[in-house]
Amino acid sequence: MAMNVVVCVKQIPDPAAPSSLDPGTKTLNRSGKLILDDSDSYGVEMALQLAGNVEGSEVTLVSMAPGGEVSGLRTALAMGAARAILVSDDSLAGSDALSTAKVLAAAIRRAEPDLVIAATESTDGYTGTLPVQVAELLGLPSVTFAKSVATDGRNLKVERQTEAGYDEVECPLPAVVTVTAGVVEPRYPSFKGIMAAKSKPVETLTVSDLGLDASQVGWAGARQEITDVSEAEARSAGEVVVDEGDGAERIVAFLEQVKVV
Amino acid sequence: MIDWSDEQLAVRDAVRRFVEEEIAPRVDDLEHGDLPPYDVLRKLYATFGLDQLARESFKRSVARRREADGGGRARNGDAGGGGSQAALTLIPIVEICRYCPGLVTALGVSTGLAGGTVMKRGTPAQMERWGLDLLTLDKIGAWAITEPGSGSDALGGMRTSARPDGDGYVLNGNKTFITNGPYADTIVLYAKLDDGSGTDLRHRPVLTFVLDRGMEGLEQSSPFRKMGLHSSPTGELFLTDVQVGPDRLLGEGKEASDAGRQSARDNFVTERAGVAAMALGVIEECLSLSTRYAKDRLLWGKPIGDFQLIQLKLAHMEVARLNVQNLVFRHIELSSLGRSLTLAEASAMKLYAAQAAVEVAMEAVQLFGGNGYMAEFRVEQLARDAKVFQIYAGTDEVQVTHIARDLLSR
Ligand SMILES: Cc1cc2nc3c(=O)[nH]c(=O)nc-3n(C[C@H](O)[C@H](O)[C@H](O)COP(=O)(O)OP(=O)(O)OC[C@H]3O[C@@H](n4cnc5c(N)ncnc54)[C@H](O)[C@@H]3O)c2cc1C
Ligand SMILES: Cc1cc2nc3c(=O)[nH]c(=O)nc-3n(C[C@H](O)[C@H](O)[C@H](O)COP(=O)(O)OP(=O)(O)OC[C@H]3O[C@@H](n4cnc5c(N)ncnc54)[C@H](O)[C@@H]3O)c2cc1C
Repeated sequence: MAMNVVVCVKQIPDPAAPSSLDPGTKTLNRSGKLILDDSDSYGVEMALQLAGNVEGSEVTLVSMAPGGEVSGLRTALAMGAARAILVSDDSLAGSDALSTAKVLAAAIRRAEPDLVIAATESTDGYTGTLPVQVAELLGLPSVTFAKSVATDGRNLKVERQTEAGYDEVECPLPAVVTVTAGVVEPRYPSFKGIMAAKSKPVETLTVSDLGLDASQVGWAGARQEITDVSEAEARSAGEVVVDEGDGAERIVAFLEQVKVV
Repeated sequence: MIDWSDEQLAVRDAVRRFVEEEIAPRVDDLEHGDLPPYDVLRKLYATFGLDQLARESFKRSVARRREADGGGRARNGDAGGGGSQAALTLIPIVEICRYCPGLVTALGVSTGLAGGTVMKRGTPAQMERWGLDLLTLDKIGAWAITEPGSGSDALGGMRTSARPDGDGYVLNGNKTFITNGPYADTIVLYAKLDDGSGTDLRHRPVLTFVLDRGMEGLEQSSPFRKMGLHSSPTGELFLTDVQVGPDRLLGEGKEASDAGRQSARDNFVTERAGVAAMALGVIEECLSLSTRYAKDRLLWGKPIGDFQLIQLKLAHMEVARLNVQNLVFRHIELSSLGRSLTLAEASAMKLYAAQAAVEVAMEAVQLFGGNGYMAEFRVEQLARDAKVFQIYAGTDEVQVTHIARDLLSR
């Protein structure tokens, strides 16, 4: 059965580039070019694999980002996604996780998905709360920490990573699944894919297009407030062991002390 | 064109990731082990769908050629696509050369020179027989013109002979410095017609043949040891009474009797633009490694980047980077307009880019001090590799003669 798979993709400031906080709002400065969050490349790959198994299936991307940013979306479109929905609106500045979830849920609903995939947590915000909030708002089952996902188009079978190994979980579709990094190998975009990405449809929506009220989102709707930001404590230097013939023994003693061996 | 477009940057980033994940960890094996370059190149092709693109461009070329043969206007069997095509070819060259210029040499000779010559000069049947597999990297190609007695003077001084025999030829002679020679499946080989007419050797027609590995009388040497470019196998070819049918003469006699000379010259512009892109990769990498090192290396309590003599090196590198990049951009922009560099321009670009790459890489070695001389810091490899840019595809001195010849003939 052909499936419509939606992947949530966050577009974030390049982690390799220097980053800064806005001193006024204490949030991350997102004014530069944004790129596809590496965490989401696994979800995109998983979706493409699932869609690739069934003729007629398609992958739709959903993203909320400032300034009409599409760079990260183009990356995922080049990998093979068919289309994207972008929500971008000045009134979204200051949105906390729940407001973001409301916006994404409304956008996802328009895509009428059979399956929604997100990453376990984003690289920049990493609250890890968004996907379950989206599932709740959409009234869908949610399965987290998936390391493998299989479906017959009606039901979902997930191997869910645990500390001890994995659980086998089943639920009916539609559903929301979060995948952990490293479970699949994100494909390289082909040159043809990169060329084709330019002409794939990206629907850009505002808050009112989604039938939401500006008071529910952004600074107006935020239920959280960032009150203070302080420097992370510098890591202590650690102990340097100078080898005076007993180096190996001292390392073993140290490892025993921290109960690694 | 003042910078790469967003799309070209996406291509660059994807290739850069491939180079860092797939090539960088294997550089030692490729440069100093026994790992031939071909599998990693094939992986590059498969990963980015370049084999598929090659198949499509092959189909277009054959169709165009058939149309031209059927009385339509003759056009070169080039892949087409203008500037975007040129950029798509050059971006991987730049990126791979940041780590391993030898891979680009092996790739360029196989697809560009061997494959390109078959596609430009072959009949549709010859294109089908050899061209497609070369363009997709399914087969590895060599392009053999240089001989022990003639490099810069390759066409005039060539001694390898093709003696007519029945409706075919018998080939004798040797070729040297042949990239991919030791491993090639398909060899595009230039030879002088020896029809017994007593024409002076220098003026005999040059013919182009296609040989297959394993033909009787054809011997392919093992790779030479050399100064650099270790990842590109270079060897000799020995031909002793190699019998070839008329089907192995490129063009199958339908071309002018001396088509080989033009066939060799056809490659000048694309080959020289390719070397400029290679130089750009080496320069970009040396500059970025040097800038980082100038900030990190502390002497007398401050980074060496504070010293004016180090700043001068960085400034010269940046000048070279800008100039070579502009030359490469100009070539891409002209291609997108369906135009081409003149012989003087292409030669000037190659002359400047090759010298700039060598100077930049040697200065990078100097900036790194003792570390620069050590393999771990990579600039010594780039310096050794860059030196060949001044020698192959026409030496610096030959570029000078080509620039002058073109200018003075106007
Ligand atoms: C008071 C307050 C103000 C804030 N103001 C801003 C602001 O002005 N601008 C700003 O950008 N952030 C702002 N933030 C941060 C922002 O709310 C969170 O980054 C965002 O809600 C997502 O949370 P996360 O990154 O922790 O998601 P996680 O729950 O860690 O994300 C898990 C997965 O959900 C999906 N996902 C998450 N976010 C998106 C998205 N935007 N689009 C598509 N998929 C997504 C991805 O698959 C992601 O990997 C603010 C936070 C607070 C508390
Ligand atoms: C790594 C490598 C790979 C190669 N791959 C191939 C290949 O795949 N196929 C192939 O056919 N060949 C290949 N070559 C050969 C290459 O093209 C020749 O080495 C080059 O053309 C120079 O020829 P030569 O070595 O015979 O030098 P020579 O021609 O002997 O030159 C000796 C010197 O004389 C100078 N000189 C020559 N003519 C003049 C002049 N008119 N005025 C002033 N100075 C002059 C030269 O610049 C040089 O400095 C390769 C070479 C190398 C090093």
